[in-house]
Amino acid sequence: MTPTHAAVAIIGAGASGAAVAWRLATAGVDVVCLERGDWLDQSRSPSLGHDWERALQTRFNANPNIRRLDADDAVIADDSDIQPATYSGVGGSLLRWGAHFPRLRPSDFRVRTLDGVAVDWPLAYGDLEPYYDLNDAMMGVAGLRGDPGNPPRRAERDPPLPLGPGGVRLVGGFETLGWHWWPSDAAILTRARPGRAPCNNCGPCGVGCVRGARASVDNTYWPAAIAAGARLVTGVRVTRLVADKRRMTSVVYRDAAGAEHRLDADLVVMAANGMGTARLLLASGIGNASGLVGRNLMHHPTAIVTGVFDARLDGHKGPFAAALSCQEFYETDRARGAVRGLQLQMLRGSGPVATALGGYMARLPWGRFHHREFSRQFARNVTLTVTVEDLPEAHNRVTLDPSRRDVAGVPLARLAYRVGENSRRLLDIGIARAREALRAAGAVDVVVNPLSRAAGFHFLGTARAGDDPATSVVDGYGRAHDLDNLWVVDGSVFPTSGAVNPTPTIQAFALRTADAMLRILKP
Amino acid sequence: MSLDLLARVLDTLLPGDGPWPAASAVDLADAVRADREGDPDGQVDAVLARLPEGFASADADAREAMLRALESELPTAFERLVTLAYTAYYVEPEVRAVIERETGYENRPPQPLGYALEPFDERLLDSQRKRAPFWREA
Repeated sequence: MTPTHAAVAIIGAGASGAAVAWRLATAGVDVVCLERGDWLDQSRSPSLGHDWERALQTRFNANPNIRRLDADDAVIADDSDIQPATYSGVGGSLLRWGAHFPRLRPSDFRVRTLDGVAVDWPLAYGDLEPYYDLNDAMMGVAGLRGDPGNPPRRAERDPPLPLGPGGVRLVGGFETLGWHWWPSDAAILTRARPGRAPCNNCGPCGVGCVRGARASVDNTYWPAAIAAGARLVTGVRVTRLVADKRRMTSVVYRDAAGAEHRLDADLVVMAANGMGTARLLLASGIGNASGLVGRNLMHHPTAIVTGVFDARLDGHKGPFAAALSCQEFYETDRARGAVRGLQLQMLRGSGPVATALGGYMARLPWGRFHHREFSRQFARNVTLTVTVEDLPEAHNRVTLDPSRRDVAGVPLARLAYRVGENSRRLLDIGIARAREALRAAGAVDVVVNPLSRAAGFHFLGTARAGDDPATSVVDGYGRAHDLDNLWVVDGSVFPTSGAVNPTPTIQAFALRTADAMLRILKP
Repeated sequence: MSLDLLARVLDTLLPGDGPWPAASAVDLADAVRADREGDPDGQVDAVLARLPEGFASADADAREAMLRALESELPTAFERLVTLAYTAYYVEPEVRAVIERETGYENRPPQPLGYALEPFDERLLDSQRKRAPFWREA
């Protein structure tokens, strides 16, 4: 039955929306979540067939403009250095993620104070720490405590994923140079849980996990949230948010048949990621007294540095994105010529199709030398991604396309994004360091992609959190400055980006916001 | 556009080499033609339509030169053709069998068997564990 009222309406069933739904529903709150996509049956993943790599090119392609499934809206990205890499469905972009699961560091919350750039967060690492721990427990994390590069982790961990021969080679390089490295925290089980089998090291997490080992909120938060009474409506498109002065009153959406519905709600939570949330707020003309909705878009600009070795490294074995990372260059050192820092993250090897198409390197040449080059590279490489902190710049933004609309009539998102000067410097610093590490590990050749155009995974900063309504969109709990009952919990609230994958921080922020909402709903 | 002409193009992109079969040996033209999802706007036909006269009867060196010129003229369409060709070629069971023989990469899907989840060797971390914390307090 189509719901017409909820205590809390959540827009988006991805990483953050699921966390909020679970936290509120288990406290007895009436929750309805509206999701544009549908459930994905991961038990039938393409990884069960020979053509799983074709699936990565098509229906599991990261770019919605290429994938073009029913739930995918086109994104106008002609003016963006980095193309969108998102997914719509119950689980959102986690349905095709690599599950690398790092946290921000304490210094990431005090960028202005420590380094004199950008802005501080209106909260500190310590405010999120208990929620990071809670989130780890809900998602299930493999890893190892004791990393000298990060604050101690309290939450239990499964044993870490194996490094494989390529990882061991890389460790040799880092050790030779005396640099930091540590096995990745990964949202991937290495021990069984009810309903989820441990990872069997198959590799292509990006086409879904048949075993449920890789966490994606459809196999973690949502089953628990629904069991607690949360209602999840899939295949519907929210077309506008309706407010009366300082109060949200309802959410208008269309079902798959095009029929319009209205959901009245006491509180509304935006969890549609840093692109979708900005798009809907702008389309509804809501929450933007500051003029900052959509502005300060940050990605994690990424360079890709691959070492080719003279031995077989079996890089197809093991989760492609979760092995180890190096945070030797994470904190600011102005002597390097840039402010803030970067992370080097290991990626394992590619399958045959991706190798031929150039996955992490250049596309292999066609013609008489093709097979020779394939034999030289395939299964013999290991990659370091250089992920840098992107500083907020007001001209990088999400806006509404003036003429093109989706099937429900909502203007399409338009991206304007250029890699900033500091980010470019950090990328170049990281490329040089990655090259050094791979050479020290024994690589006979190193190939560099100075900027991955495909790496638009993280949309951050488009409804930034802050204490001052003139310079931010929401407060430190994600509550809109302009409206008393509108909350934002996705990556759009990030005032700064850090240099690591944002999902654990997004989810921790969402859980903390849910507790703030509970103090209002159940004082 | 004829399958024979497409097959000739594909054999120029992916000629046989030692254990590796030529594109035509695995009927790649049929597979590329069948991949409508991968070429919704007919870029392959755009390339074939611009092939110079005499391409089909030219020798291997001449065919390669002709295609390199075409690649410069139609970079987007040509890249689509190469993408379709590589994708179709490397999912062919016969090609996968060669990969297995040459590299040890198993000729089977990743699931349901997966691969052994070896235990992590914590001895690798001995020197890292001796390092003092270096994250900044804030």
